Amino acid sequence: MISPRTLRNLRSELSRSLLAKLGIAILAVILFTAVFAPLLAPHDPTEQDLDNANVPPLGFTATENQTSSQMVDGEVQIVEEEVVVNTTTAHPLGTDSLGRDVLSRTMFGARTSLLVGLFGTSIAVVLGVTVGITAGYYGGRIDDALMRFADVMLAFPSLVLAIALIGLWGQASLRIPDPLVAFGIASAEMPENIVLPGTVIAVVALVNWVWFARVARGEALSVRDQEYVKAARSMGGSDLHVILRHVLPNSLTPILVLATIQIAAIILLESSLSFLGFSGAQLSWGFDIAQGRQYLSSSWWIATVPGLAIVGAVVGINLIGDWLRDALDPDIEGQGGAP
Amino acid sequence: MTDLLRVRDLSTRFFTEEGQINAVENVSFTVEAGSVLGVVGESGSGKSVTGLSLIDLVESPGRITGGEIWYNNADLAARVEGDQPEAVDGDFVDLRRLSEAERRSLRGSAFSMIFQDPMSSFNPSITVGEQIAEAAEVQRRASANPRSTRSRTQGYGLGRMLLDGVLPDRSYTSEESWDRAVELLERVGIPDPAERAEEYPHQFSGGMLQRAMIAQALAGDPDLLVADEPTTALDVTIQAQILDLLADLQETLDMSVVLITHNLGVVARVADRVSVMYAGEVVERGTLRDVFDDPVHPYTKGLLGSVPDIDQPGERLEPIAGNVPDLVDANMPDRCYFADRCPKAMTDCLTRPPEYEVNDGHRARCVLAEREYSEADAVSDERLAGPTDDGAAADDGSTAADGSIASDAEVSDD
Amino acid sequence: MTDPLVTVDGLEKYYYENDTLLDRLTGAEPEAVRAVDGVSFEVREGETLGVVGESGCGKSTLAETLMRLRDPTGGSVTFDGEPVFELSGDGLNAFRRRAQVMFQDPFSSLDPRMTAGEIITEPLAIHGVGTSAERRERAETLLEEVGLSADQIDRYPHEFSGGQRQRIGFARALAIDPEFIVLDEPVSALDVSVQAQVLNLLADMQAERDLTYLFIAHDLSVVRHISDRVAVMYLGKVVEIGPTEEIFENPQHPYTKALLESVPRADTDERSRTVETIRGDVPSPRNPPSGCSFRTRCPELIQPPWLDVPQATFHEIGEFRTRIENGDIDVDLRWEQVGDPDREDRAAFVDSLREEAFDTELPADDEKTVREAIRALADGDRETAAATLRERYRSPCEAIEPALPAGEHPSACLLNEQPEDVETAREEWEADHDAPEAGASSR
Repeated sequence: MISPRTLRNLRSELSRSLLAKLGIAILAVILFTAVFAPLLAPHDPTEQDLDNANVPPLGFTATENQTSSQMVDGEVQIVEEEVVVNTTTAHPLGTDSLGRDVLSRTMFGARTSLLVGLFGTSIAVVLGVTVGITAGYYGGRIDDALMRFADVMLAFPSLVLAIALIGLWGQASLRIPDPLVAFGIASAEMPENIVLPGTVIAVVALVNWVWFARVARGEALSVRDQEYVKAARSMGGSDLHVILRHVLPNSLTPILVLATIQIAAIILLESSLSFLGFSGAQLSWGFDIAQGRQYLSSSWWIATVPGLAIVGAVVGINLIGDWLRDALDPDIEGQGGAP
Repeated sequence: MTDLLRVRDLSTRFFTEEGQINAVENVSFTVEAGSVLGVVGESGSGKSVTGLSLIDLVESPGRITGGEIWYNNADLAARVEGDQPEAVDGDFVDLRRLSEAERRSLRGSAFSMIFQDPMSSFNPSITVGEQIAEAAEVQRRASANPRSTRSRTQGYGLGRMLLDGVLPDRSYTSEESWDRAVELLERVGIPDPAERAEEYPHQFSGGMLQRAMIAQALAGDPDLLVADEPTTALDVTIQAQILDLLADLQETLDMSVVLITHNLGVVARVADRVSVMYAGEVVERGTLRDVFDDPVHPYTKGLLGSVPDIDQPGERLEPIAGNVPDLVDANMPDRCYFADRCPKAMTDCLTRPPEYEVNDGHRARCVLAEREYSEADAVSDERLAGPTDDGAAADDGSTAADGSIASDAEVSDD
Repeated sequence: MTDPLVTVDGLEKYYYENDTLLDRLTGAEPEAVRAVDGVSFEVREGETLGVVGESGCGKSTLAETLMRLRDPTGGSVTFDGEPVFELSGDGLNAFRRRAQVMFQDPFSSLDPRMTAGEIITEPLAIHGVGTSAERRERAETLLEEVGLSADQIDRYPHEFSGGQRQRIGFARALAIDPEFIVLDEPVSALDVSVQAQVLNLLADMQAERDLTYLFIAHDLSVVRHISDRVAVMYLGKVVEIGPTEEIFENPQHPYTKALLESVPRADTDERSRTVETIRGDVPSPRNPPSGCSFRTRCPELIQPPWLDVPQATFHEIGEFRTRIENGDIDVDLRWEQVGDPDREDRAAFVDSLREEAFDTELPADDEKTVREAIRALADGDRETAAATLRERYRSPCEAIEPALPAGEHPSACLLNEQPEDVETAREEWEADHDAPEAGASSR
């Protein structure tokens, strides 16, 4: 389905664009970290070590708010103790208030974010494209009905809708044994399950499918009027044949581009849900930010490190989206040839 | 008859990612005052770019890379002579050597252009009358104050823009220009011009809009009107109306017209002289009679043979094999560009032909102007299968081979 | 005479505007656009029937409706005895194999993501003909047959030129051995030299395979070149149909005559040929004229029995009347132009508009009527002005709709032979309308 010309465009655009390379590099690092987290993480992300709580990142100092009042010469003095910690590499990015390693938590958190991003987007794409192409190809009342429904969906703020749906369905999640731990490749101390937050995935998909439906419908509407679609119909091609053979492949480019942007949006949404405590995930960037929020004044790294991870992932994915958009632009790809 | 425009060796190139495209190559022709020159060619022959080059509207990545455009205007010559004596020859001025500002001031007043698609040539959110009045206003201000038009903003400075934003009733155009617009609309045969002037482009039909565009082009009383495929988007009955109008205007206003078209019938209907373009070159030029009744270049003959005759339908058409080359510099062979499609290609054609004079004013870029075709000198297809786009070369199924570039060593000694 | 392969009878295709959900909720009246409005003809086996007309005349909609790509509003199409609109299942499948379409646009008619081979074999794949190896072989043969080379089979459409793409489109139409091909403007997007190549190819294949063509085009010389018979369409109706030679040498309908005259000839005598151009534009199919749809532009409009003015004068009066009826003349603006915003000098107004509207001298009675109408207009009474003119200058062409009679070369024009019911209607109309008194004030 991907023509050699498309590949050529992708390659030439990649060689031209520094930002595209950067995006791919960022995403590759995050993906690699997520997959091999049990091997890469220095600690079990859930292991608590209250003796070493609130350790700042390597080389940073932290002001511990150990204020004590002492009577000195009949006056009350408030003594603020400044503690300089962390010269060891045990916790390179510090620990949180329960002494859990921030680096390890961020590495494992990448799993949740990417799983939700990929699965959520996939479901949204399938749902949205099915609805959108059906509406655009058949038009008329089917189109009216489906698209009015989509408009109603769009009218709800996505976060509110997501929270309502979670409230309705509860926080179901699936625990899959982590093969790296199960087969003894990684240390047995690491968490033995990968948590797939099912409700969250379903919810982010339901919140986001509308965008795909709209784009797919628009594409289907324009492809439907192309003469090759008329030709296929005149040959006796069934609707399913026409849709799968012509309409879908020729509508995919903008959907692909939208999908990359939506992955980023969904990662953000998942983080928001975790931050608000609705996702049920205990190992997630958003959850960690929520945890770190109350220590923001004294232990900024607890929230900042996962926050930077989110920024990195979103920027990386968006850069890839830009690259795809530029490379697959129909002006470059579709026509061309002799003037 | 005096000449209005003498174009010498005009070349326009486009510098694109695919390489340098020689859209117009060493094109020479003359436009006589008060006459119609037809420029015919297929798509990709460079005819539209020639028109744009004439009035200096070639846009990036294109650029006019060489040549001279001598324009007959005694006033302009007198004005320019002091500063740039090298750009003046008698009453003629070489437009290519004038400053950018000077050239721009000639647009509209000396030259104007109409395009194929009238719908996209008008701003949909401004009334037709206003748009024509604007063209008239620019000229009115220019004649009132010649210096101001050569300024970059033509009175549309920042202050004006801000004022226009605050006071939406303010109009760039004056009452006088509006009246002129109505008068122009009437001149091009639009009924109820005063009423129609207040309508928007979408309220006009295609033929009406084409008339309105002609009215706009006439606003500055130009000496030369360049019409690029003015009737291609129109139906035949409307086309006939527009051609009548153009012929009528040309005659009564004593204007010169360069009519660019692919339609030989349109050329035959209005043109006095004809230039036939192929692959960026003028391959044959002369009077209508020279070119249509006595063509020399095999391409001209082929073109005429390709058109089905509505009055005397023949049994079979005689098309030209193959396709128009893509004009990418790297792919253009160093020989006659038409040779690979030519039924009469000879060894002589392996060098670039100059422009031969057939008789007075009738020229052709083909050796057949000098000699007869002879089978003995015929050149084989393999030698002609040059480094052109192989997709195009294989169209007639005959020259698909990956031939090498015809080498100079084998040029006959004829 | 051979049997008809395709018979089209009273075919209608209307589009409805203002027909969305919102419009229905707000109760907006759906507006019918009559793209095809009662078209009947037949295509005989082995012939090429050309259909010509200007843009918007409905010829492409006709093709698509006939091929069941759009749902018809009314009428029927019979293909080899089978009613096309009632087919389903195997019958429909058979029709889809026996009838094919080739489209106009060399860019959009081929799926950009499929190779030439995939495109050509698509109909075979749909109907499950042969194995994929056999289909590929067939595609290679077809590529050669349409003048391309078999090794181009794996190329994508953008690697071909416009002419080559049209050849691929034609190969696709030929792939499943059809009997009937609808060619919808197959050469209009091509350059003349390439157009001639494709026209020759179409003619060769027809001779070789006994194909029947319905050839749709706006270019009359192309139609004359390729067709055996020609149908001329105007505003969704066939106005004239007949053998090519007859249509071109002896056109009957004023529209056909005008169309033929309008085509510029590539000939040095072209400049001296006088062309009676027809005025105005094609009316909108949303609101077609009453009676004969060509009457608004017709150079041979029939005068009412009581009138005998030069045709040019009749035409000018007719145009003036249309301007009044459509409200094209802005009375306020006219008063301003006359320089009399107080509206006192009616005579000046009348003179000004009279001069502007007419190039010719009017006979005394007509001068009187016209001035009376303008006077009414000056008072702002557009209705009376229009009625005054309508009374005296109404033509049978605006009241009676001509029909296309049976026969070898019929035309839908009241000047020519018409079916009996149309003739009767015309006689009745003439009996009903007496000559109004010139200049008489209408109620």
